Amino acid sequence: MISLFILVPLAGLILLNLPFTGGLRRATWGFALAVALAEAGAVLLAPAAWWTTPTATDRFFAFALAAPDVSRVLLLSIGIVLFAALAVARSMIADSRRRSNFASLLLVSLVGMNGAVLVTDLFSLYVFLEVASVASFVLIAFNRDSRALEGAFKYIILSAVATVLMVSAVALLMMVAGGTSYEVVRAALDSSGDALVAKIAVGAFIAGLFIKGGLVPFHGWLPDAYSAAPAPVSILLAGIVTKVMGIYALVRLAGEVFVPAGPLGDVLMLVGAVSIVVGALAALVQTDLKRMLAYSSISQVGYIVLGVGCFASAGPSEAASLALVGAVFHLFNHAIFKSLLFVNSAAIEQRLGTTDMNRMSGLGSRMPLTGTTSVIAALSMAGIPPLAGFWSKLIIVIALWQAHDYGYAGLAVMMSVVTLAYMLVMQRRIFFGKVADEFAHVEEAEPGLVVPALVLAILVVAVGLLVPWVLDTFMLPVAGLF
Amino acid sequence: MSDSILLLTMVVPVAAGLAVLAIRRSLGILREVLTVLVTLANLAVAIVLFGQDLTYVRPWAGFGMDFSLRLYQFSGFILLAVAGFSLLVALYSWKFMRGRPKLNQYYAYLLISVGLTNGAVLADNLVVLLFCWEGLLLTLLGMIAIGRPGAWKTATKAFLIVGVTDLCLMLGVALTGWMAGSLSLSAIAAKPLPLDALGSLAFVLLMIGAISKAGSMPFHSWIPDAAVDAPLPFMAFLPASLEKLLGIYMLARITLDLFPLAPESWLSLLLMIVGCVTILLAVAMALVQRDYKRLLSYHAISQVGYMILGIGTAVPIGIVGGLFHMINHAMYKSCLFLTGGAVERQAGTTDLSRLGGLAAKMPVTFTCFFIAAASISGVPPFNGFFSKELVYDGALERHWVFYAAALLGSLLTAASFLKLGHAAYLGKRDAANDGVKEAPLSMLLPMIVIAGMCVLFGVYNPLPLNHLIQPVLGARLEGHTFAGLPGNWWLVAATCVVLGLALVNHLYGVRRTGAGLGAVDHIHHAPVLHGIYDRAERRWFDPYDLGLRGVGVVSQILWGLDRAIDWLYDSLAVGLATTLGKGIRLAHTGQYAMYVIWSLAGAAAIVAFLAGVF
Repeated sequence: MISLFILVPLAGLILLNLPFTGGLRRATWGFALAVALAEAGAVLLAPAAWWTTPTATDRFFAFALAAPDVSRVLLLSIGIVLFAALAVARSMIADSRRRSNFASLLLVSLVGMNGAVLVTDLFSLYVFLEVASVASFVLIAFNRDSRALEGAFKYIILSAVATVLMVSAVALLMMVAGGTSYEVVRAALDSSGDALVAKIAVGAFIAGLFIKGGLVPFHGWLPDAYSAAPAPVSILLAGIVTKVMGIYALVRLAGEVFVPAGPLGDVLMLVGAVSIVVGALAALVQTDLKRMLAYSSISQVGYIVLGVGCFASAGPSEAASLALVGAVFHLFNHAIFKSLLFVNSAAIEQRLGTTDMNRMSGLGSRMPLTGTTSVIAALSMAGIPPLAGFWSKLIIVIALWQAHDYGYAGLAVMMSVVTLAYMLVMQRRIFFGKVADEFAHVEEAEPGLVVPALVLAILVVAVGLLVPWVLDTFMLPVAGLF
Repeated sequence: MSDSILLLTMVVPVAAGLAVLAIRRSLGILREVLTVLVTLANLAVAIVLFGQDLTYVRPWAGFGMDFSLRLYQFSGFILLAVAGFSLLVALYSWKFMRGRPKLNQYYAYLLISVGLTNGAVLADNLVVLLFCWEGLLLTLLGMIAIGRPGAWKTATKAFLIVGVTDLCLMLGVALTGWMAGSLSLSAIAAKPLPLDALGSLAFVLLMIGAISKAGSMPFHSWIPDAAVDAPLPFMAFLPASLEKLLGIYMLARITLDLFPLAPESWLSLLLMIVGCVTILLAVAMALVQRDYKRLLSYHAISQVGYMILGIGTAVPIGIVGGLFHMINHAMYKSCLFLTGGAVERQAGTTDLSRLGGLAAKMPVTFTCFFIAAASISGVPPFNGFFSKELVYDGALERHWVFYAAALLGSLLTAASFLKLGHAAYLGKRDAANDGVKEAPLSMLLPMIVIAGMCVLFGVYNPLPLNHLIQPVLGARLEGHTFAGLPGNWWLVAATCVVLGLALVNHLYGVRRTGAGLGAVDHIHHAPVLHGIYDRAERRWFDPYDLGLRGVGVVSQILWGLDRAIDWLYDSLAVGLATTLGKGIRLAHTGQYAMYVIWSLAGAAAIVAFLAGVF
């Protein structure tokens, strides 16, 4: 059945965009929303047997697909973030033709992400990543102003570097292993993991993924792309695209495939830690709201990669399982609270026409719902109990401690303080204090932006409060616990 | 009858107290009615329960912390006394407190105190005891804080002093529980603990908690302040009766059940010294007070000394005397405070220099005062006389020094009450007090009842001794009874001589200064004493103030440290983070080439690392 995750959006995309059927295109937005909700619903409601039932479509579909539990968490996150992005697009993109175009591009991106999450083949993974990337190039430049084009161009350049690295890596591995499926590559590395060719290939592929995931020092494209893109695209990119492309692939590859190729976990932990520090410190000095959120994304992705690295380096142990759970949980949480923050920034941008934090103050009294949901997201990100982000960070820190990585554990805790610092500075600048004269008559954002913000804020609180259920149902199976 | 009635004695007053908090101002009368009804019901239950043996055990916090209550002879007796006093205080408050602010809180604290005291008295588990005990600390704080403006300072003082000693009690409970392997009082009593080194430590910790609750020195200094700041019925209720009952009850339980105290033990000596020091120092302070309530409050401290001395002697006659003195004290001291309240309400002041000649205007109040004052001074045939004789007998059995100290205390007590009575009720009446009337009936009634009990317990002392107190010691008495007239007539003669001396001293002082208030001025202004008194008035000897001064120095040092740490966080850390952040921002030039180089360099570094180059 899982081929449907790729085929349904693809088929819909093609059918709705057939030539000479102009009327149908108007339904694209609604179709995309239905697909997003159906995807989240399938993860929540579909019985276990549903996932493994073969269908007629599976026979015609040549990719090897699998849906382990990590994928399901990712599919759920994709559904939620897509919902938020589409809801915001409804408000932010007034023209219905452009909105349909946006929804179509979103469906392309969805095909790419779902594919990347479900495939078990290195080359197919690369192809789906490219599909999602190409959709992202166009989406970033959606408004066609000079900043957007610059951001998109930077992304293309660095993606090209990533493409070169990954394609070469696949070629080299093909040479070593004679195939590109995860199992074949794993088997080949088991026997000849020490070969320099294999090490070069693995290193290059990982570096490619780092570029896609925007980790320091591979992150040059990210702040520009996030801040220049239109609001719904920022939500999509920051919320899920870079996670699927960078992190999810790392979880699968570092955990299952590339294991024999050397101390990958140490590389991941170091890159993760550097990303945490650089992202947080850079966020501290930003004055543009979206740019600050972009740097904070780098920092939070660093936490996830730190967890993945701990998982990869600790070998099969309780600490490793815990680290994986923490990383995936934080990925899920980050998808929600970062989307929420970008929804809030969209609301502010729409009302104020700017994202320059130096010009804002006291908006909390004018936009109470936006302010409240934003505070919830910020506290969750900083890891304040009992919100969702607290639990995932806690699990990562505990795992690091159990794995005897005390330095990294201390760093993770310390950087939480910096996270709290820049998030509180942001809240104070924007929402607290006296309202600035030029914004004295600003009103609360329109329902199209407030509703998704409320839904996401409720999710943040609910996941935090229902953490035992969330862990038991989704997160612990990830590591094969239970 | 189900055993859960024991739980009800605790739960009902507390629940009623919480309900009182919610009563609206317009329905104000309800809270008085509810308070009187609940305390009345409490008394009825206590009477019914008296003499029964009941236990109530339910699992509670685990780890041996069962919620267990036990009613037996001793706790039934204290329960009865607590119920009686709380009813009388509730009645008295009806008129006295009328029209004052924060009445909801006042009655709520009163009822909650009753419930928690019942719980502490009945507790058969040390943790339950501690739970109720600490709860009383909160009502104590609240009761003082709702007094006159600025009373919170006194409330804080009481909270700190009692809080610290409660902490000692907590440590003592933990140590005792660890030593005995059980937290159940009856289980420990069945196999009492030895007073070895660790046992002595536990004993002293528990003892500090108990005697501090009773208001002994050196944990006393909040009581005189509270006498001035807190609502008056509070003084009659908590420091004068409930806390004395509870503290001395606890001390008796420790010395009788947990750590059987032998007369030859150094802890017995310690208790007796604490008792004598408390008697003498506090009464010496009482002697020179010029305020009705403040004078009484020092006596509330001083009299505790007799109880501690009596129990500390560790001989049966002393223990019986101490316990008898406890119940007697609760009676005459609350009666005295109530007369003070009547004077305060009718004459508008408790400053002795502005009172005088009230006996003619307030005859009933004066009579009650006279009986209670005679009791506390140990005049036969009132109750205080008999209990003091028993304590003297016990003290003399140990050493004549303790007896002498106790006797000297009696002399000064008598002198100070002669002065108080003379200054307030006799002598020349201030013109401003010509319009003073007798107190209303609801205030007189409690005083009359208690004064009557003082006479009854004295004239017919077999009633309390045979039925309430001696059964507590049970087999230890070996069939002796101390009821009836004192056994040692030499002691009685000495007491009478001392009382005579006090009278002579009083007459001398009055002749010297011409007023009742100046009756002890010749002692106050005596060469050496004068300096000591002056310093005491300036709180040189108040352990709390001394402690605060020490704390001040420590605070200064910590403040300095705090500045340094603040600088570390506020300046250094923030500066470092901002500088680094700005550096990172500068590195992001926006040049594609630079970003591509970073990426490629990173990829190369990863490959090199995997290949083992580093």
